[in-house]
Amino acid sequence: MTDREITITINGLVKTARVEPRRTLADFLRHDLGLTATHLGCEHGVCGACTVLLDGETVRSCLALAVHADGHEVTTVEGVAPPGEMHAVQKALWESGAFQCGFCTPGFVMAIYGMEQERAAGLPCPRSRAEIREELSGNICRCSGYQKIIDGAEAVLAGEGDR
Amino acid sequence: MSSSVVGGIVGAKIKRREDVRILTGTGRYIDDAGDRSTLTAHFVRSTVPHGRITELNVDAARELEGVVAVITGPDMAAFTNPLALGAPIPGLNSATYPALAVDTVRYVGEPVALVVASDRYVAEDAAGLIEIDYDILDPVVSSTDALAEGAVQLFEEVPGNVVYRGGFEEGDVEKAFAEADHVLVDHIDQHRWGCAPMEGRGGVATYDRSTGQLTYEASTQTSHLLRLLVSGFINQPIHLMRVITSDIGGSFGLKFSIYREDVALCAAAKHLGASLKWVEDRNENLTAGGAARDETVTIEAAVRADGTILGLKADMVMNSGAYPIMPPAPVVTNIAGYMLPGPYRVPAYRFKATAVATNKASYISLRGPWAVETLVRERMMDLIAKKVGISPVEVRQRNLVPVTEQPIISGGGFTMEGVTAAETFEKLVSMIDFDAFRAEQKAALAEGRLLGLGVGTFYEPAPGTPEFWGKIGFPFGAEPVRLRIEPDGHVTAFTTQIPHGQGHETTLAQVVAEEMGVAYEDVRIVFGDTDATVFTMIGTGGSKAGMMATGGAMVAAREVKERVITIAAAMLEANPDDLEIKDSVISVKGAPASQVPLAQLAMGCYMAPGMMPQGLDLNLEATAIYDGENGGWGQGSHACWVEIDQETGKISIPRYLVVEDCGKIINPDVVDGQVIGGVAMGLGGMLLEHSAYGDDGQYLAGTFMDYLMPSAPEVPEIEIVHMEFETATMVGSRGVGEGGTVLAPAALLNAVDDAFAQVGGTRITQTPLTPTRVLEALGVIEKD
Repeated sequence: MTDREITITINGLVKTARVEPRRTLADFLRHDLGLTATHLGCEHGVCGACTVLLDGETVRSCLALAVHADGHEVTTVEGVAPPGEMHAVQKALWESGAFQCGFCTPGFVMAIYGMEQERAAGLPCPRSRAEIREELSGNICRCSGYQKIIDGAEAVLAGEGDR
Repeated sequence: MSSSVVGGIVGAKIKRREDVRILTGTGRYIDDAGDRSTLTAHFVRSTVPHGRITELNVDAARELEGVVAVITGPDMAAFTNPLALGAPIPGLNSATYPALAVDTVRYVGEPVALVVASDRYVAEDAAGLIEIDYDILDPVVSSTDALAEGAVQLFEEVPGNVVYRGGFEEGDVEKAFAEADHVLVDHIDQHRWGCAPMEGRGGVATYDRSTGQLTYEASTQTSHLLRLLVSGFINQPIHLMRVITSDIGGSFGLKFSIYREDVALCAAAKHLGASLKWVEDRNENLTAGGAARDETVTIEAAVRADGTILGLKADMVMNSGAYPIMPPAPVVTNIAGYMLPGPYRVPAYRFKATAVATNKASYISLRGPWAVETLVRERMMDLIAKKVGISPVEVRQRNLVPVTEQPIISGGGFTMEGVTAAETFEKLVSMIDFDAFRAEQKAALAEGRLLGLGVGTFYEPAPGTPEFWGKIGFPFGAEPVRLRIEPDGHVTAFTTQIPHGQGHETTLAQVVAEEMGVAYEDVRIVFGDTDATVFTMIGTGGSKAGMMATGGAMVAAREVKERVITIAAAMLEANPDDLEIKDSVISVKGAPASQVPLAQLAMGCYMAPGMMPQGLDLNLEATAIYDGENGGWGQGSHACWVEIDQETGKISIPRYLVVEDCGKIINPDVVDGQVIGGVAMGLGGMLLEHSAYGDDGQYLAGTFMDYLMPSAPEVPEIEIVHMEFETATMVGSRGVGEGGTVLAPAALLNAVDDAFAQVGGTRITQTPLTPTRVLEALGVIEKD
């Protein structure tokens, strides 16, 4: 297969690379760029561990190809806060004791970060626990039983990070 | 003596330190390991459940650009030994098998060949070029198939497909049943479901030709056992093998076993003198990683007219899958057998168990592997209540043994002491308005809504007692911890636990900090690396950490602390009994001016021993073990409320209540997390998850679109009440990881039974509770 040249803005940095057209965005991020925060839990679009933002929308990087992202902006967990710091979403999830093994965590952080960005922009976003549960139904966590993830998401979507 | 870990850091709601790297994506999971020289290993697997390999053509695959090697079963057999994963247990007939199938395959997903290539894309391209033909043999799928007269036999050396038969009897069972006013019989056919951690199995095996050392970075719960077994299977001297672990993306029992993939990967790395990475994908995990439960139990109860239990009989049949793996079948059936009478008075009891070989992936451990005992017992309690005309609450109250009446001999014939199941049940009952619920249930029924409420109680070895494990035939084991005060006064402790979500880096640091009198931030917990940690057979598993690892950390810290105090006493010319360590400073109690900082003392011991008090032990490192004394138990009681949609068959859970007692809580968030996650897993296992096989032995649940995982909307909010009963042992904490999963299925099924009883539904005796099965039971649709 002929490699294609792509240019993607990843976490604010412009990257140009040659990739096989079949290479997934997740593999490109993880193995070509060494951005290993994005995890692969099922590779068929169900578990949500590989969730990243593509032009601000949450997508499954296991189902997207790297070439799909050509000319677009990708945000991963590495990009939500400066190194050594945490975003309000991460702080809220830390405070609530949300996670255990941590493998699904990047996907949840990105999904909730996506909601938080919408809230911050004044767009509609889930607020109640039931709405948050529904909105997070595309992310699977095997350890936590979700309750403390919902606690953290609820806090941050109530605007806790603004205070 | 009660626990000395009181107040301060232990018991505090401390945010987990693991979470910093987890939340920022800087953890190191198995696919993050390896370097640019690491090659990808990919297993080619059987697509048939049972067959003889008649052709295996790997020529085209070997020629593909980027392929380094294609190793077949016969190739692999030349440099590995057969895997003998059985144990010398009476009655166990365990087959040995090769790392890669040589001539016969016995389940869908069995590894047949190993492709080594430059990257995964190339490796999978090569796998697609491999041609395999099979002479198809009849598959054996269910336990009934396996035990049938004239059934196809999987292994020559396993006659009748019977891997194990065993049992035991306590008390006069015949007399109990002869004298009973009622004899009740129940049966459960539990489906196969699995661990399904979000990260599957995997490892990076690296062979260093210059030193002959093999390093295996693995996603495992048990690094020392993995090292011991794999080194033997691949003829690698054990002292030249090192297993290391980093972050592990969940396990739940899956990564306790040693797999043929581990053996093949390490053997191939050594054979090729290379670094190889294998990371299984979800399909491999669900198909070939093994699964659990998959057992039937028939239970009989002899009871008096007032609901008092006189005796129990139980007969368990476990579907072990094709290849025996850790833990050996009798360990699981024995724990189930000995725990089955539960925290009740059971004067007479007979247990029988059979484990059979079938054409399925291996039966592996899953969070409370013995849990079926609680399911059948707690459903039987409800049947007894119904039969004698009392409530599910009353039948339990009449048979439970309060902690004040212990020690007594349990139904399983061992000493039961410090078990507070009865107390957790009383607390649970006090929190539920049963009359109000019955009124609500009646009103709902009038509106066509079907509600149910179920309760249950249990206890579990967390870690159990030496006597109990003696009956099981499995060592109780002690927990070693190596601990060192560094030259700057910081503390490094090496645990043999291998955390994969349990937060041991936080909780054990809390324990060490409290014991040593140093800041929590000054303590680091090291785990996993067999070059650094002390040998133990089991890493993390069996609810051992709460008590055993905590105790190990305490005794190691105390040993070093005593040396520090002795040295400081000489330096300060004080009586050791008058000294304390607080905030990393050793001082005379009540006279803080007379003090020496721990850092100064430590630096002296390491760098200027000649200037330190002479004739004293200046070694600030110790390895100590905690033997667990007489161990202890975990327990709890649950209540589950259900609403069943009679049109769709969907079961929803509006409320779920847990009263748990794991003794002294080290970190409340960690304990709550284990309870909630455990309950979610138990409910998911009953309602959604199914490692399904067709009658033809084909595997039917190879993706998360077929194997349904509970997601946030399906899991209820779980209310938790803690009780913290402490026994006489040094450590007041006990394990808590498994109980939620053990008891939740029973509470749920009792709630469903209660709902069904409102409308005359047929009692469920087969799981999972799929909408189809629910609608059949309710008579809404015809049974298939």
